[in-house]
Amino acid sequence: MAGDTPPVVSTREADARVAVDVKALQAVGHVDAARERFAELVARHQRRASRIAFHYLRDAADADEAVQDAFVKAYLHIGTFREELPFEVWFTRILINGCLDRLKQRRRREKWIAPPVTDAMGVERDPAEYLPSHAPSPEDHALASERRQQLSVALAKLPERQRVVFMLSHFEGRSSREVSAMMGLNESTVRVHLFRAIRRLRTLLAAGASRSLSGRKNRAAR
Amino acid sequence: MRLVDAVFRQGHLSEQALVEAVMTGERPAHLDRCDICAERSVELGRWLDDVRNLGLDAAERAFPAEKLVAQQAQIMRKLEQLDEPPRVIAFPRQMPGAARESGGRRVAPAWLGVAAAAGLVIGVIGGHFTARVSATEHPAQTAVAPTVPTTPATQPVRPAVPATAMPATVTASLIDLDLDNPTPHDLAMLNDYTPTLVGRSNR
Repeated sequence: MAGDTPPVVSTREADARVAVDVKALQAVGHVDAARERFAELVARHQRRASRIAFHYLRDAADADEAVQDAFVKAYLHIGTFREELPFEVWFTRILINGCLDRLKQRRRREKWIAPPVTDAMGVERDPAEYLPSHAPSPEDHALASERRQQLSVALAKLPERQRVVFMLSHFEGRSSREVSAMMGLNESTVRVHLFRAIRRLRTLLAAGASRSLSGRKNRAAR
Repeated sequence: MRLVDAVFRQGHLSEQALVEAVMTGERPAHLDRCDICAERSVELGRWLDDVRNLGLDAAERAFPAEKLVAQQAQIMRKLEQLDEPPRVIAFPRQMPGAARESGGRRVAPAWLGVAAAAGLVIGVIGGHFTARVSATEHPAQTAVAPTVPTTPATQPVRPAVPATAMPATVTASLIDLDLDNPTPHDLAMLNDYTPTLVGRSNR
């Protein structure tokens, strides 16, 4: 019977329900139960949050810390969460603000500690990239790795807003409206950022591909 | 189709229009009529898929399942620490001066009275004891004192006369001595009885 089937609950509704429960449990002082309930939200959004932070910060350790901090902040300030807004949007905003703060801190640190490592093309590189890899290096792996590297370098060259808009829209599949809510921007501004990001990325990746192709030809000729 | 595309792009879709079409999935009617734009949109779609796969792959490699499990555990630990009341390690609360006060309080007040009484008793007993000891020692002193030779070794030593053995007539004559104009006899008598007089003055 149709009346006996449980109603289908969307992720958004489920998130909102959990968030409201956590808020209520915190209010009556049942912190253990509140934490257990919050763990559901962590499990549901952790992977996506890690992806966003990783693409934003371009450093796995930094991204890991940013995600942890974002969840802790969300738990502490869950009292300010309003059901009208999806939890995902509210949380992503916390995460992005945290990532932005980390980037600012990193820039300040880099100013004083050491100049950024750049490659022959003048592109800022992570020093860890120059360490020898322990992974096996058959040609397929090498090619895939090269392409990932090219994408990472190209993404790094994008202005921050373009990068985040591209990431949220394309990697996370968010609509322009959702991205605008997450970033606090106009929907039309988000669309413009997205278009510019794609155009710039295509140019950068095409240039990178032609460079690597000529490099391979030269190596083969030798 | 937008007027701009019709005028400046010979009726083809702009890059932005293509991106919007591919990203939103809203396919413009122009794509059904124009093979060139359809091909461009397919090519753009492929490129975007490729980039997406690369991006997701990179993120998956950076955050494998075991790392996510560890991350979740770390988050829950942090939340637990937040909820627990902070443990405050006892820090010395008193200043050095105050510590001295608290050191005085370690002795019970009753013991102070006991100590004072004991001191008083010891003092009284000690006083009595020293008085008795000194009383027993003084007769010995009077007996010993005359044995000390007071005359030079060249002169014949006269026997010392104890004060108790001095006759009353001698004492009276010593009292009557005119010390302002003494005669040799007076001085000789005084010399003879000097040890006895010294012993008396000591007493």
